[in-house]
Amino acid sequence: MFRLDSLALVSMISFAILWAVTVASAPRRDREGTGRWELICLLAGTLLAYAAADIWVFLAGWALTVWPYFRGDRPGPRLAFAAGAVPLTIGAALMTMPDFAPVAFAALILAVLLRKGIFPLHFWTLNAFEQFRLPALGLILNSHLGGYLLIRFVIPQFPALSAEWLPVVSWLALGTAVLMAVAGLAEAQPRRILGLLWLSQGSFVLAGLATKTEEGITGALIHWWVVAFAMTGLISIYGSLEARTTSVRTRSGFQGLGAHAPRLAVFFGVCGFALVGLPGTLGFVAEDLLFHGALKAHEVLGVALPLATALNAITMLRLFVTLFMGKRGIHVPSIPDALPGERAAFTVVVVLLVFGGLAPALLIALRTDSAVGLARLLTGQ
Amino acid sequence: MMETLLIAIVATPGVIFLALSLLWLAGWTPSERFVARLTSAGFGLITLGTAWLSWLIFATGAVSVHVSLGQWFHAGDYQFPLTILADRLSLPMVAMTAVLGGIAASFSVRYVHRDRGFFQFFLLLNLFAFGALTAFTAGSIDLLIGGWEIVGVTSVLLIAFFGERPEPARNAVRVFANYRIADVGILLASFVLHHGGSTLFTLLLPGEWPDQTSRLHGPEVMLAGFLMLMAASGKSSQGPFAGWLPRAMEGPTPSSSIFYGAVSIHLGAYLLLRFEPVIQAAPLVAMSTVAIGLLTALMATAANRVATDVKTSLAFASMTQLGLIFAEIGMGFPRLALLHVVGHAVVRTLQLLRAPSMLHDHHRMHAAAGGELGATGKLLHALPAGLRLWIYRFGLERGFLDAWLDRLVVLPVVRLAAVIGWSPFDSRGKA
Repeated sequence: MFRLDSLALVSMISFAILWAVTVASAPRRDREGTGRWELICLLAGTLLAYAAADIWVFLAGWALTVWPYFRGDRPGPRLAFAAGAVPLTIGAALMTMPDFAPVAFAALILAVLLRKGIFPLHFWTLNAFEQFRLPALGLILNSHLGGYLLIRFVIPQFPALSAEWLPVVSWLALGTAVLMAVAGLAEAQPRRILGLLWLSQGSFVLAGLATKTEEGITGALIHWWVVAFAMTGLISIYGSLEARTTSVRTRSGFQGLGAHAPRLAVFFGVCGFALVGLPGTLGFVAEDLLFHGALKAHEVLGVALPLATALNAITMLRLFVTLFMGKRGIHVPSIPDALPGERAAFTVVVVLLVFGGLAPALLIALRTDSAVGLARLLTGQ
Repeated sequence: MMETLLIAIVATPGVIFLALSLLWLAGWTPSERFVARLTSAGFGLITLGTAWLSWLIFATGAVSVHVSLGQWFHAGDYQFPLTILADRLSLPMVAMTAVLGGIAASFSVRYVHRDRGFFQFFLLLNLFAFGALTAFTAGSIDLLIGGWEIVGVTSVLLIAFFGERPEPARNAVRVFANYRIADVGILLASFVLHHGGSTLFTLLLPGEWPDQTSRLHGPEVMLAGFLMLMAASGKSSQGPFAGWLPRAMEGPTPSSSIFYGAVSIHLGAYLLLRFEPVIQAAPLVAMSTVAIGLLTALMATAANRVATDVKTSLAFASMTQLGLIFAEIGMGFPRLALLHVVGHAVVRTLQLLRAPSMLHDHHRMHAAAGGELGATGKLLHALPAGLRLWIYRFGLERGFLDAWLDRLVVLPVVRLAAVIGWSPFDSRGKA
């Protein structure tokens, strides 16, 4: 029923850290009342899914993570969550029937694509970014259960089909990475920009897995962490700013918040630059491995990933200067810089991203077994 | 001994940056005096270390010093080697960074005194020095990319230094966009070089600079050459990337001097010098390097003559010299190009640091010359009036480069982005 190998344990520990960081930095309004239930369901459901050796247990964990969202007026995300659970259930039911292996595989891949927000199934993610409580949304997205489903169940169960069809998934992921990166260039709303950054950078994970090379898969698994920690940091910091002043949502143009919250600005900058691969951060390591793995697997894949990263970096800097630069409007009250809880939480994220980048060998070692295993399964060696 | 010295030279600004950052994050903001003295001491140590290292290399008769620090990380067939070197090319660049960086730091102590961003400025100056020294001493293309990108990011953050005004913030994004697009070239070039047989370019290009040879042949060498030319053009504001340099002048003058007069702007030329055998092995790349350099020099010299402020004028003057340096590299004169780089960096740093006193200097020169400063532009006056007007317009519009870029690249991309960003559940405007 449960399987606590290195992949599961590392994922569970990472998610527990993400959860603690999110809860410590979340505004009170987001961690009380229904917000509390969302966070508890997310923790329980995600840990259950990570520890699952049986796909039905995984399905239970998956369902628990999205259960709190089947309320209220949120048509897009609710539809996507429901639509994701249906193919997952079908795939789980047909998985053990050899005659239906292609159908089960297709259903599971559809669930992966929906959960990861791969183009053209990405609409719900942007809608969720506009409407959801940010702390819980950050956790639900950064658990990367879609990617985990692929690694834990789909590839080991269907190695031949995976080897044959993962390139298609890879092309879709690649398309998502580039298209969302382009879309980010013209987006003005900070929440939607965060959504587009997550969609674009998050799809690198699937693109990396499909390279079938050890460096590409290792890069993808390291990038998983980078996206999880950096996006959690960005989403949490933006959530903290929204809790301080509503102007970040209601006004366009430069907000000038850096003068009053310099530490939040620095935390945001480090997380953002790590997400797009600044040297000295874990993002640089992940992208270096990903690019080389991708270029080895397919030239177009290898060209598109650096291009998408470059565009995302421009969007990230644009978001940074919009939030933290410019003259603060007279209608914005004086806001506090990072509070002690926030400072501790964001320091954890920054330390992981920076020291993970300066000494990445340990983190790579934690992912090597999984990467070697997946590469062998996909290449049939 | 030489190995330890080289490591210390590269690591010093990085250690200062890391220590100051961690202390600040822990809640301690050091005094201006402390930060200034620590930074000055750092640059002083790097300068002394470089002088000592140069003497040791000269005294022992060594041509270069290579230090291997093992691998930073590896996975599968790929490894990231941590190798640094000091040779005839990197030592002058390191010395230039140390001396001119130290001068800019000393000047900055007064220039940004009591500015809200004093600490941030010196923090970024140390990070920049670390990035530049890493790039110049990198023994592998991967490490060079690391230093290269650090220089780019610090450059952009300093352009946005006076971020309470919207223009510096906007220009920082525009410059960053240029950098990032051009950097795709160096990332892809690194793969072509790896694919060409080696992780280390010191092995890829056997021998000592400037007598190295390229192991790449055929389409690979042309591809690597063009990708490097793209990256170098982006960093040195040449060809289609020429529009960003005047925008970068929004930053504080000392940072403009060290970035766009001395170190950062020459990083592109350094890349071409380091991989000069690759450029020369592909005649089409060499010819393109010359063409891009000369065309940019012509455009920039026209724009320089009609610029209405001193920093913009100096930016175009830098661009002109970089164009000539590119042409020298393309024509196969690496030693001349290196000499040109160092000479240009020294003169331009002085000019940029003196820029705030330009009117004072002009009046002094005017008085010293007895009110008879020679007129300029005599050659242009010999041209037909219509052509003169066209050149004036061409210079004033900065070669129409920004206008073309906006029309052909920026606007179509923004329109495409708006289409892609459409969503059936879009609730924009309802928030």
